[in-house]
Amino acid sequence: MSDPVLHVKNLSGGYDPVQIFQEIDLILHQGESAGIFGPNGHGKTTFLKTLSGLIDPWSGTIRFHGDLMNREGERGSRKWRNFNYDAVTRRRMDPKKVAWAGLIHVQQGNLMFPELTVDETLSISSEAARGRDGWTPEQVRDLFPRVAERRGHKIRFLSGGERQMVSVAAGLLSAPRLLILDEPTLGLSPKIRQELCDAILKVRKTGMPIILIDQDVGFLEQIIDTLYLFDHGRISGRMTREEMPDHDGLMALLFGEHH
Amino acid sequence: MDAATLFSVLQGGLVLGALYALMATGLSLVWTTLGIFNFAHGAFIALGAYIAWQFSSADAWNLPLLPAILLTSAVMFAVGALMHFLLVKPFERRADVVLISVITTLAASAILENGLLLIWGPRSKQIPPLGEGEVVLGQISLSTSEVILLVLVLAILLGIGLFLRYARPGRIMRAVSQNREAAELLGLNVPLYFAIAFGLSAVTAGLAGVFVGTIRFMNPAMGSEPLMKALIVVIFGGVARFSSPIYAAFIIGLLEAFSIYVVGLYWAPAVLFFTMIVVLLIKPEGLFGKHQRTL
Repeated sequence: MSDPVLHVKNLSGGYDPVQIFQEIDLILHQGESAGIFGPNGHGKTTFLKTLSGLIDPWSGTIRFHGDLMNREGERGSRKWRNFNYDAVTRRRMDPKKVAWAGLIHVQQGNLMFPELTVDETLSISSEAARGRDGWTPEQVRDLFPRVAERRGHKIRFLSGGERQMVSVAAGLLSAPRLLILDEPTLGLSPKIRQELCDAILKVRKTGMPIILIDQDVGFLEQIIDTLYLFDHGRISGRMTREEMPDHDGLMALLFGEHH
Repeated sequence: MDAATLFSVLQGGLVLGALYALMATGLSLVWTTLGIFNFAHGAFIALGAYIAWQFSSADAWNLPLLPAILLTSAVMFAVGALMHFLLVKPFERRADVVLISVITTLAASAILENGLLLIWGPRSKQIPPLGEGEVVLGQISLSTSEVILLVLVLAILLGIGLFLRYARPGRIMRAVSQNREAAELLGLNVPLYFAIAFGLSAVTAGLAGVFVGTIRFMNPAMGSEPLMKALIVVIFGGVARFSSPIYAAFIIGLLEAFSIYVVGLYWAPAVLFFTMIVVLLIKPEGLFGKHQRTL
């Protein structure tokens, strides 16, 4: 059997000295997609930032298509606390290498580059792919006609939904082999939200593995094969799409019957 | 004030403004991209002047001025990039990187200035002037070297502006300065572009040093007063965009030239600081400033 797309084993991390999440195990096989569902402020975003290398993991391993993304071993936190961690030890993970491997993280509520135009942003993203096979600019424009219409505008002048679309488009252009979407539909109007959901569904149908964080169970159901429940910095449950209860059921699983 | 005096004050102000523009641009390039303030910028100014002297002076390697300036730029770019890896990169992920880089760049400034003294000695030096003779336009005559200086500075600033606007690395530098995390997540090589920004900044400082060296005598501490002025320019103008320190530099340069004429050399800095305070009271982000800082 081929290596899983993403294999996270026993991963712990946070912002030193505060640990945010611990002992996370997550596996994503070829052609699958996973969802993460959990309350706000419990470390989902920090976990994703660790996956993409923005924050060094404390312990555990991240394997992407079989390749180790971080340096193994415990991070010496207590002993080194009074030293300059970066000068004394090497960094345990490099975000650009993670992105070059094809693990692309589209951040939550990302402002992108406010003073750059849509076109400039998209061309930078294609350059960041460094010749690896990604989506072509034409494909992305077809996927997001709304973004294509505003190509000459600065991102600062776009609406929240359009900005989110630019983020996803930029992610697609930088040649992903796994797309991590962190609450892409947060705070959008229903119409724009539907457009974005349809586009993400189209991306999913091309066979692109996706890790999706969202609060909308209906949307999650359309995209994912496996759902992880994320609670207090731990994975508290794992279920297939068929086993997924409705929104109230999930809330009951997370908070007990009387939430 | 008669027309001739007015013109010579104006001319002095423009030359000062051009030099300040070059210095302030380099300073704000690092400030907008890396978010740190480079106190070694003044030492870079002196270093550039001394390297250019080494290349061009009849007492040293005696190259013509143009190749000397180009070689100086190349050396300064390398020095700037190296300084980024020595002074800023090791601390970039710390929360107090701004404070630490104040200390490291101040240290580098002291080391560089004393190094200059050690290598080239305390004797005053001067770089050969950019041109000789005068350009006569009707009733006005201008010294050729000052005209060349003005043209060169404007060309350099225009070149940097076009580079940032249209060239691929320039565009990526703007992206990195606006949202570092997003750039990292796309797989852009952020440390490389930081090093390029630092290198470019050192080049502008070095060139400013060369131009100062052609009109004044050089000493290892020659950069500290211009650094102060460049700082005033950056604060006064704000750093909303690449061009805002440039306008501010010419305003400050002209203001300085006129206040020297009106209130004398000793009170001119007081006028500058007073103007800066008034501007900051009214527009805290600087004259052309906006909250968002970008290249």
